[in-house]
Amino acid sequence: MGTVHARSLDPLPMQGPELGVQADDMDLGEPEHEPQQEVLENKDVRCFSLSFQNSEDILTYEIADVFQAKNLIDVMKKSHDARQRLLRLGIFRQVEVVIDTSEGEDALPNGLDVTFEVKELRRLTGSYNTMVGNNEGSMVLGLKLPNIFGRAEKLTFQFSYGTKETSYGLSFFKPQAGHFERNFSVNIYKVTGQFPWSSLRETDRGISTEFSFPIWKTNHTVKWEGVWRELSCLARTASFAVREESGHSLKSSLSHAMVIDTRNSAILPKKGALLKVNQELAGYTGGDASFLKEDFEIQVNRRLFWDSVLSASLWGGMLLPIGDKPTSIADRFYLGGPTSVRGFSMYSIGPQSEGDYLGGEAYWAGGIHLYTPLPFRPGRGGFGDLFRTHFFLNAGNLCNLNYGEGPRAHLSRLAECIRWSYGAGIVLRLGNIARLELNYCIPMGVQSGDRICDGVQFGAGIRFL
Amino acid sequence: MSLAAEAFVSQIAAAEPWPQNATLYQPLREDQILLSDCASSLAVQAYLRMCGLPVRVCCRANAEYMSPSGKVPFIHVGNQVVSELGPIVQFTKAKGHSLSDGLDDVQRAEMKAYMELVNNMLLTAEWCDDTTASEITRQRYSSPYSWPLNHILAYQKQWEVRRKMNAIGWAGKGLEQVYEDVSQCCQALSQRLGTQPFFFNKQPTELDALVFGHLFTILTTRLTTDELSERIKSCSNLLSFCRRIEQTYFEEDKDSQSAGSQYSRGPSLF
Repeated sequence: MGTVHARSLDPLPMQGPELGVQADDMDLGEPEHEPQQEVLENKDVRCFSLSFQNSEDILTYEIADVFQAKNLIDVMKKSHDARQRLLRLGIFRQVEVVIDTSEGEDALPNGLDVTFEVKELRRLTGSYNTMVGNNEGSMVLGLKLPNIFGRAEKLTFQFSYGTKETSYGLSFFKPQAGHFERNFSVNIYKVTGQFPWSSLRETDRGISTEFSFPIWKTNHTVKWEGVWRELSCLARTASFAVREESGHSLKSSLSHAMVIDTRNSAILPKKGALLKVNQELAGYTGGDASFLKEDFEIQVNRRLFWDSVLSASLWGGMLLPIGDKPTSIADRFYLGGPTSVRGFSMYSIGPQSEGDYLGGEAYWAGGIHLYTPLPFRPGRGGFGDLFRTHFFLNAGNLCNLNYGEGPRAHLSRLAECIRWSYGAGIVLRLGNIARLELNYCIPMGVQSGDRICDGVQFGAGIRFL
Repeated sequence: MSLAAEAFVSQIAAAEPWPQNATLYQPLREDQILLSDCASSLAVQAYLRMCGLPVRVCCRANAEYMSPSGKVPFIHVGNQVVSELGPIVQFTKAKGHSLSDGLDDVQRAEMKAYMELVNNMLLTAEWCDDTTASEITRQRYSSPYSWPLNHILAYQKQWEVRRKMNAIGWAGKGLEQVYEDVSQCCQALSQRLGTQPFFFNKQPTELDALVFGHLFTILTTRLTTDELSERIKSCSNLLSFCRRIEQTYFEEDKDSQSAGSQYSRGPSLF
C-alpha cells in the first residue's frame, strides 16, 4: 500500500494516489473526496520497531504523544514533535520517521505503523584541536560519552594544555526520564583567566552542582558552587590595590536563576522578550567570601516597518558584602567594552587605581538598538541575511555604594556621572550562538580614569548589551 | 631581577626621598607568622631603624602572596615594592642610606652564609619535624583560611619546604640534630663577636640586624620545647648583643605600647 515518509512537516499533498489508496480498504461510508480536506480517519496507531541500546522507558516518554493521534495529520505532526524530542536528548545522530499502514497478523484495520529509524551517536567521541591566540598556544583535548548509563546521561571531559596556562573540566549531565527540561549536572573544573585591564590573573578550581526545572513558563536553575580562587598580579607593574587582593580565597555559594525567554532566537531576535534574574548568596555554606549578589537582564524586541527590529535592553546588578570583610575583586561587576557600553575599552569604566580597573559593587547599563537589513540588500535570501546594520545608543554607570546611606542616595549615585555612547555598525550572526560586530562609536560622558575606544571598535561574543 | 632592571629600579629609587608613609607587610603577628618569617621581618625592621628610616608595620593574612618574590617581609615605599633584606639594603643604598660601606665582600659573604644556615635550620625545625609541623606550624600557617582550603595550603607549603630541604640534604635531620647545628652556629657567632659591641667596627651594619632578627626570634618564641632558646642563652655575649640592640632601636615601643602599638614585636627580653 502507500507509504508516507515524514521527515519534516512539509506541506501535505492535497490529493494524489497515495492517500486515495487507503480509502478503498475502509468502510467508513465517507465517499466525499474534497480536495482541501483530509480524507482519512484512522483511530488506532501502534508503534513498532523500537530497537535501541538504551532503556526503553526514557524513549517511550518522548514518543508517547504519538499514541494520542486521531488522524493522519495528527500522526504526522506528533511524529515530527517526537522526532525533535528524540534529537534533543542528544543520543542520536539521526532520527527518521516512517509511517505505513499496519500489516501482519496483528494488524488493525485502521492502524498505522510508525517507525522511528535512529542512528545513535558513538559511545565515546573524542576531539583534538590546537588553538593559537593572545600570545599563547594550546592543545585542547575533548572526550564525550553521550549516553553512558542508557538514559541520556552525558559525560564530557575537556583538557587544555597551553604554553602559559592549563585548564580542564569534567561535567556530568542527567535529565529526568520523560521531562528533559528537568535535569541536573555536576561539574569539576580548573580554569585560568588573565585580565589585562586589571593586571590580574585568576585561577579557579571548583566543583558545582546545578538543578534546572521549569515552572509554568519560567525556567529555574538552582546551583551550589565551591571555588578555590587564587589571584595574583599579571605584571610587576600592577597597582598596589590589585596587589593587595592577591592570595587565596574560598567561595562557597548558593545561587538561583530564573529565565523567561519568549524570543524567537537568542542572537538577533525579531520578536519576544527576555527576563533573567540571578541571585547568589555566598558565605552561609562555608568559605571565606561572604556576600549577596543580585543581577538582572531584560531585553525587549519589536518588529518595525520594512524588516527592521527595535530592541531595548537593560542590565543591572548589586553586590552587598555581608560582614566586615570588603568584597573581592573577583566578585565585583565590570562595565565597558564592545559587548556592553560600546565606545569604551574592555571593562574600563569605573573605579580604578593607577590604570588597573577594580570593578564596582553596583552597576546599570542600557541600550537601544535599531537593526535593519543591509542597505540595498546584497545577497538577499542567502549570505546577506546574516548581516544587519545597526544603530545604537548605550548608557551605563558603575560605582561603589556606601551601604550606610538609604536607597535614595544609592539611586542618585548611580545616576550621576553616566557614561553613554552612540553610533552605528554592522552585525554578523554566527550560527545561533555568537555574533560579530564592527561599529563606529562616539563615547560621551567620559569620566577621568575611563579608557575609551572611539572610532571603529570590533567585538565578538555571545552576550551583548 | 636582571642587571638592567636593577639599574633601572635604582635610578628611579634614587630620585625620591624616603616618604613618611613607608609600610612593611608581614603575616599576622598573633596567629599566623612562623619563626623563619618573623626572623626575616624583625631583621628588616632593625635594619631600617638603624638607618633612621621610619616605617610602619602592617599585618596581612595574604602578605606572602602580595610579595613580588613570594617571600616576606616586603616594603611598600612610594610606588615601589621591594621584598627581602638583600634587595631592601640595595634599595636604601640607592637612596643614599648605607651602613656597610666599610665592609669588604668576604666578611659580608661569611655573615650571609651564617644567616642562611640559621634560616634553613629554622625552616627544618618547623616543617620537617612531624610533631612540630602537625601541632604548631600547619595550624598557624593556615589559620586565616577556612576548611578545606587551610589543609590544602598547609600541605602544599609543607611539601614545598620539604622538597627544598631535601635538595640541600637536610630533610633527614631530626630535631635534636637541628638543635645541635644551631648551637654550633651560635658558638661560632659568639666567638666572632667577642667583646665588640657589634660584629664589624663600632657601628651596626645590616648583618647585625640580620643576626639580631634571627636570635631574638629564637629567644622569644617557643616551639615544642624551649631547648633552642636555652642553647643561645648559654652564649652570654650574644644575649647582651640582642638586649643592646633592642634597647637602642626598639626602645620607643615601650612608651607607645599603651597607645596601641603598630610595631610588630612579640615579648621582649626584659
